[in-house]
Amino acid sequence: MKQILFALVSITLVPTLSYAQAAMHRTPDGKPDLSGVWQVMNTAVWDIQDHNAEKGIPAGLGVVEGGELPYTPAAAQKKKANFENRATADTEAKCFLPGVPRITYMPFPFQIVQTPAQVTFLYEYAHAVRNVFMNTPHIEGQLYWWMGDSRGRWDGDTLVVDVTDFNDETWFDRAGNFHSDALHVVERYTLVDADHINYEATIEDAKVFTRPWKMSMILNRHTEKNFRLLEYECFSN
Amino acid sequence: MRSALLRSMMLAAGALTATLIWSPSVSGQASKNRPVVAGCPSVSAKFHPCALEKAKTFSPPRMPDGTPNLQGIWDAPLAMGFQNIEDYPGNPAPGGFGPAVSVIVDPADGKVPYFPWARAQRDENVAKYIDPYAQCLPTGVPRQMANFRTRQITQSGNMISIVNEAGGHIYRVVYMDGRPHLSPTFKLWMGDSLGRWDGNTLVIETTNLNGRWWYDSMGHFASDALKVTERLTLVDADTLHYQATMEDPKVYSRPWTMAFPLERIKEKGYEQMEEACHEGDHDAAGFVLGGYQPYLGPRFPQ
Repeated sequence: MKQILFALVSITLVPTLSYAQAAMHRTPDGKPDLSGVWQVMNTAVWDIQDHNAEKGIPAGLGVVEGGELPYTPAAAQKKKANFENRATADTEAKCFLPGVPRITYMPFPFQIVQTPAQVTFLYEYAHAVRNVFMNTPHIEGQLYWWMGDSRGRWDGDTLVVDVTDFNDETWFDRAGNFHSDALHVVERYTLVDADHINYEATIEDAKVFTRPWKMSMILNRHTEKNFRLLEYECFSN
Repeated sequence: MRSALLRSMMLAAGALTATLIWSPSVSGQASKNRPVVAGCPSVSAKFHPCALEKAKTFSPPRMPDGTPNLQGIWDAPLAMGFQNIEDYPGNPAPGGFGPAVSVIVDPADGKVPYFPWARAQRDENVAKYIDPYAQCLPTGVPRQMANFRTRQITQSGNMISIVNEAGGHIYRVVYMDGRPHLSPTFKLWMGDSLGRWDGNTLVIETTNLNGRWWYDSMGHFASDALKVTERLTLVDADTLHYQATMEDPKVYSRPWTMAFPLERIKEKGYEQMEEACHEGDHDAAGFVLGGYQPYLGPRFPQ
């Protein structure tokens, strides 16, 4: 009877324990271990909002919380024009670095290398690299970098990355959703179990949007034996 | 914290070094400017045996798992970005390179042991083709280790990453878990790198290279049959002895080896910066106007 009771209690209790309380894999300094190779399984690269299928493009659920993007009226016009000119106006088509958060949901794997002072993201797409420097201030003054200036900190078991100093040449997707050089991204990486990270990016850009907005998606760990990053040296292919 | 202005200036400098235009006064001759590194003569032929001898008695710092700790940000100023891996007298023309001392320690003449057709191909490369690196293409291996600006080595679990600052975006992941190489189907700019420890030395074997990059700005090349075996050994706390042995039976008559020091960047809080290269690069257009062609790999004799 005791055994049955214990089994019942286990069944009811275990699912309510969060991964953090369970046996989360941690680094020697006690932080969640995000190292590994990750990739999204969504269609945000084409359009971060809900979209129907087209030839060569799968239909997809949007990744934007609430569905709508709070463009200013002028920015909404620009987005429309971007969409119409997307074949030539999107710098991704020229193999340029795609910015943040777009690099996260490109259809390529990326590897996280984690140390206490620095978390480095190595992306298969174009050998892109992001160095996230932990607990350090942003660089003084405004820079105009493709991938921005990334500064990280731990908020409990969540890696929070504050990214500033962007240029205005990248889009969020191939549908023309865009930002200015006032873009400020706050990313949150939270392990939900051994092989999944909940990824959120809060977007602020007062030149383009009337309020901050958020996108979220799941990053899936590559667990295939001997999996490794290959190369997509975009403009040489 | 360096200012944004300083960083911008350094970025501009980085962009300049990505071109062939490199003032002789900047490059200089390594041995003249820095005769001694880690107590050894800086010229490769002399540094190589001296540093290996010193490394025998140096006890390196270690990672928690007991392996030598090679982590840090490393510069290779004496390799001079591989303007020319062989001896070079210098070119007095405007924009020409300064003199260079060979980084090749075997064979003893400091020359790449090309088959005759391959030596001719190298000459043709200089005359006709654009250095792929000047087109913002990846360096390949071993040029990654000699390239301008820094590379960061991070040891984490069963892998070691080597991430470069210059040249757009270049990195390698070295797997230490005993996995096999990729199938020969794969031809990669940076290859497939597998590592192991030989005592205090990190040994990296790289295959699956695509043979489309040059070792240097002067047309020295390999084919996709190249195998590179690198050995990285701490000589003292702030100096690595780096050596790479190249085997490519399609291009060289025998294996050959280069060696040079990597020196630790000791500036506190040094951070690698973004160097976009292909994005907005106009150097390649200049080469095309000059009649140079993109290099697509060696042309083997019929």
